[in-house]
Parts: sequence; C-alpha cells; structure tokens
Amino acid sequence: MGRPQWRVADIRLVLVGTVLIASWIGIGFRLFNVQGVHAAEYAEPGFDQRVRHEETPAKRGTIYDRDSVELAVTVDAQTVVADPSAISDPVGTAAVLASLLGIDESSLVTRLSDSSSQFAYVARRLDPLVAEEVRLMLADEQIKGISLITEPKRVYPADSLASQVLGFVRQDDQQGLEGIEYEYNEVLSGTPGTRILERDGYGVEIPAGELLVEPAVPGSDLILTIDREIQSAVQEAAERALQTTNAQAATIVVLEVGTGDILAMASAPGFDPNRRSGIEPSTVRNRAVTDVYEPGSTLKVVTISAALEEGLVTPEDSWEVPFQLEIEPKEEPYTDEGRDHVATMTVTEIVAYSSNIGTIQIQQRLGNETLHRYLGAFGLGQSSDSGLPGEVPGLLRPVEEWCANVCGPSTAIGYRVDVTPLQMAALFATIANGGVWVQPHVVQAIVDSDGRTEINEPLQRPVLSEDTAQTMRQLLQGVVEYGTGHRAVVDGFTVGGKTGTTQKFLSDEGVYSEEDRIASFIGMAPVDDPRIVVAVVLDSPHGTITEGDEIADLRFGGVSAAPAFAEVAEAVLHRLGVAPDVP
Amino acid sequence: MTAGTLRAHPAADFEAFADVARLKSPVRLWVLFALAVIVAFFGLIYSRISLDHSAFEIQELEQRIATEEARYWQLRLEVAELKDPGRVETLIADLGLVYPESRVALSVPGIDTERLDAEYRWAQLKALLSAQP
Repeated sequence: MGRPQWRVADIRLVLVGTVLIASWIGIGFRLFNVQGVHAAEYAEPGFDQRVRHEETPAKRGTIYDRDSVELAVTVDAQTVVADPSAISDPVGTAAVLASLLGIDESSLVTRLSDSSSQFAYVARRLDPLVAEEVRLMLADEQIKGISLITEPKRVYPADSLASQVLGFVRQDDQQGLEGIEYEYNEVLSGTPGTRILERDGYGVEIPAGELLVEPAVPGSDLILTIDREIQSAVQEAAERALQTTNAQAATIVVLEVGTGDILAMASAPGFDPNRRSGIEPSTVRNRAVTDVYEPGSTLKVVTISAALEEGLVTPEDSWEVPFQLEIEPKEEPYTDEGRDHVATMTVTEIVAYSSNIGTIQIQQRLGNETLHRYLGAFGLGQSSDSGLPGEVPGLLRPVEEWCANVCGPSTAIGYRVDVTPLQMAALFATIANGGVWVQPHVVQAIVDSDGRTEINEPLQRPVLSEDTAQTMRQLLQGVVEYGTGHRAVVDGFTVGGKTGTTQKFLSDEGVYSEEDRIASFIGMAPVDDPRIVVAVVLDSPHGTITEGDEIADLRFGGVSAAPAFAEVAEAVLHRLGVAPDVP
Repeated sequence: MTAGTLRAHPAADFEAFADVARLKSPVRLWVLFALAVIVAFFGLIYSRISLDHSAFEIQELEQRIATEEARYWQLRLEVAELKDPGRVETLIADLGLVYPESRVALSVPGIDTERLDAEYRWAQLKALLSAQP
C-alpha cells in the first residue's frame, strides 16, 4: 500500500484552509491586541471621535429699574453666516445680501470669494424684522452657502437712558466692559453648562445619543434703585443745562432721602450703548463717581453744621464780617463776592449770602481737627462703595498734613478738598435725613435664577443730631428764599439748598483757570420732611443771561445750576407724588 | 381492514402516535423559540425606533421651547422699548400735549399722615397686580 496521492483539489483545499485559518488567527490576534492589550489606548480617541463636548452658554441676567422694567436684557439675535467654499456666485450673492442688509457690497464680495474658507460672518445680530426678511429670502431663493445662526445680543431698550450707570458689554462674549455691567459681571454672567453629544459618521448629532447634560445656570437679575421716569427727566435737564449754560459737561444726581437710593444719575453729553461705534470715550464716564472737583461754597454746610453741633454758634448769632481777610502766607486776600464794605451778619445770613469770610471766622472757632473730623464723618475722602465702578474716594488730606494758617480756612469754604458729585449729594442727604448718613447705592436687590432675593442693606451712621440737621435745613431754606439760590425755587414746595462756584483746577497745567468755573447747586425738598436731594454740577459754564435789567453771569452756581435743580426737583417731586407744602 | 387492524393492535397505534409526537414536539419548540426570537428581535427594533422617535420629539419640543422663550424675551424687549419715557415724550409732544401751567393739589385726609401705610398698601396692590397671569 503506497502513500496516498494528493490530488490538485486536495492541495487547493488545504491551501485555502490554511490561508483561512491563518487569516482568522491573524484577525483573532489583532482583535485580541486591539480589544484587549491596547483597549484603553484606543478607547479614548474613539470616544473623542464619536462625541463632542459642547459648552452651553448661560443667559445673562436682566437689569431692571426699581419698578421692574427692563433696562438691559439679552435676547436671541440672528446672524447671517456664509460658507464661501459652497458659494458658486459670490458677486451675485453679495449683491442680493448687501441690498437687503444695508452693508458694503465690495467688502462682502471679497469675503464670499475666499473659496478656501468655510466660514465668514455676513452680518451679525440683526434686527428681528431684517432677520425675518433674510430667512424668507433664503427659503425662497435657495441661496447655497448662506445660513442663519443664533447669537445672544445685549439690548438696552431705552437706548441712552442711564447709559453711564448701566455701561455695556462686549457683544462677542457678553462680558461687561463698563458700568454696572462691568461691576456685576460675575453675578450677571451665570455659569455655563456642559453637553456631551454623540454624533454620527457625518458629524450630525444623534438625538438619542446624548451622554451628559449639565444645565447652564442663568445669571442673576439686578434690580436697580434707578427710576426710569426720573432718570429720563434728569437726562433731559442735563442736556438742556448743557445747551443753556454752554458748559462742557453737566452732572446730576438724585438721591432718595432716608434710603440712600440713587433715583437718577446722569452726565451730559451721554451716549447710546446700542450704537457705540464712534462715540466719544469721555461720554461713557460716569462723572458723578469718577470725576472730582473742589466743592466750593456747597461745603460750607459742613463748617456751619459742625459749629452748630459743637454749640459754638447759633443761627441768630451775629458779628462784624469784613469784606476781605488776609491770612499769611496766602498772597490774595479772601473776599466775599460783590461786597465791598464791612457788614454785621448773622449765621443765617452768612449761609444765605454764602459769605466766605463769615464762614472762615466760624472755622477759626471750630479748629482744623474738628472740621476734619466732620468732613470725614460726612463721607468725604472715602469711597461710598455705591456699587458703581471707577468710584474714587476724592481727596481729604490728614489734618496733620494741613498747611499752617491757610488750609483750614480754605477747606472751610470748599477748597483743598476734592469730592465727587455723589459724595456731595450724600452729604446733603445726611442733613435732609435728620443727621444720619446713609450709604448711597444703585443696586437694590440681586435675584438669582431660583428666585432667591438678596436685598442690599446700605450702611448708616449718625453724623449730626436731629436738631442740628433741622436747623441746618432752615438755614438752607434761607439760601433759596432770599439768598444766592433764589433761582432754585420750586412752585408749591419749600426748598433748601446751597450754591457753589469754584475756579476750575487745570490738572494738566497745575494751576487754577482764570475763566472756567465749576458751578453747582445741591438742595432738598420739602424742607420740613425732605424726600429728595438733587445735586447739579456744571463743568465750565460760560456766558450771561438777562433777567429784567440785570445781566447774570452763568459761571455762578446760583445762576446756571440752580434753575436745573428746580427743573429736576419739580419733576421728581411730581413723580414721587409728594404733596406740596406751600399753599 | 385498516380500522380492524388498528383496533386489533391498539398498543402499536399508540407507539406510532408517540413516535410522531416525539418527532413533532422538538420541532414545535424550535419553531416557538424561533418565533420568540423573531418577535423579540422586532420588538427590540420597534422599541429602539420608538425611543429614537421620542428623542426626535423631545428635540423638537426643546427647540420649540427655546423659540418661544426667545419670542417671550423679544416681546418683553419690545414692551420695554415702547415704555421708553423718551419715546413716549416725543409722541405726546407730537400730539401737541404740554405740561399744565399750574397744578392743583388736593389733600386727602389720612393720606399725608399715614404715608407709610399708604405706600405699604400700594406695594401690596402692585404685587397683587403683577402676580396676575
């Protein structure tokens, strides 16, 4: 019996079998290698290819006024985007889009002609009506390579209203850049969420394949103390004051007495945060907290209040007041505006006629240390932490650094101390509030996404006794009724206030301007039970007005700022429903 | 004849029947099993399709919620724009309305003396009004 003969078919069978077995062994080995030995190594990139991590933006909180009307709100806006690589006719497409969107056609042609690019913005955050037109056009004409995407847009519904208080955001990433938007950016921004999505081979999201959703936490809402109606009236008054007095800038602050609520705060010229291109940077500044000035005669209320509180004078006390006073080493003597003779004046008259020399005489009884202590107690030289960014503390030098002889008298009449309009408004509000200083603030409450409300409780501290505050209010009423502030009269209401006029300090040159003045008027109404304090500060008003036979110089606070006060006070008292106290 | 034969050998008939039954029983089981597998297979596919369908519906609903929410905020924005005091003032000026030359204040007994109470009541009323849908 010989060895069996291998037939060709058998050989083929063995070969095929061997190849198959070897292949299966190879596949098995590879499988074992991939799925077993290197499993972890391949799993991660595989997972990454299959899923996509996506950050879901948190909706930015809304800013409301005190009546819960929106001042700043984020809405979804439509943005037109292009895939230039998919556009066959860039010129024709650009022509259609440019006419519809009102944008430059030639630059759009350039953007759409870059066929190497797969993404280009055409127009961002469109007006809803325009976006609807684009959507209909895209549906009708089937323009390839053009689509709409949704982007958040911060809108300020009342345009320029309270713009310096609110500030604005950078639209690209919704980060606050100015004002409340900047100061409370973290609170307003919220926390972005996370989504891990599964996608198919074409990169399309698989609806049922979502792996993880960490929802975004919306930003908290802010409720401000601002009243839209009052803010609007204040802005109008500031613009009008700018025009009638030829001033470089006008700043007005309205405080509610007792609560410290900032009802309105505006500087003119202003700006519209919805249309920021080309705006003057100085118009963005909230001058009420960022700009300092020497308050002049309005600061005399501190000197007089301190002397009354310390029992050094009474309103009826009188003495001879010279028309000029020389104090070494000051080269120019102190003078009283428009007086060239010695007069016997009561304290009431010293306040009403804003006598520099009479006030200096009172300061000399008071002493530097006591004056400095009261200035500090009234909040000067320190930030009031009102919640507004860029708030400066002003300048109140330590009393040890005061120069001999001159610093005390000059400070008593409002020089050598720098203040902000808000500090001065809070100072007068202290007198209006029975001698209790209340921290001025602009944020009333913060409401988080769960509805939890955090109420802002302002700081308070007593500065004067109720009696002194009441006496001081009566002295300030005299200023308006027969003194330098008679243009601040408001029909139907008793008004108390103080005028102020100082030479403008030119910081670039380090000298006082011969021509330019800072004119101010700060007052309250009604005098017996004040509800509001209004501070008006004008930067460099100039010109004259004719009143009967008299020509009045607009550089003085009583001429330029007092009428603006009256206009604002009347509107605010009416808005708050305060009953008139003068028959 | 056959019936007679059957009747003559009942035990043999039963054996034959039992053989057939033994043969058929596993087949039936296998058929049932196959059917169960097929039903389970299609059931699984159906449930998966239903799940996907639900996922699409959820996605659509989420999209509608987002759309409606965007519309809600857009409408709130429009209301706020319409309430803009500057806009209202321009409109009333266009209508020729002006502030009165003089104002008359009426003093209502009890209001001035109890201002805080009145404010409290007004705050309560505002809260009630704003709570309406």
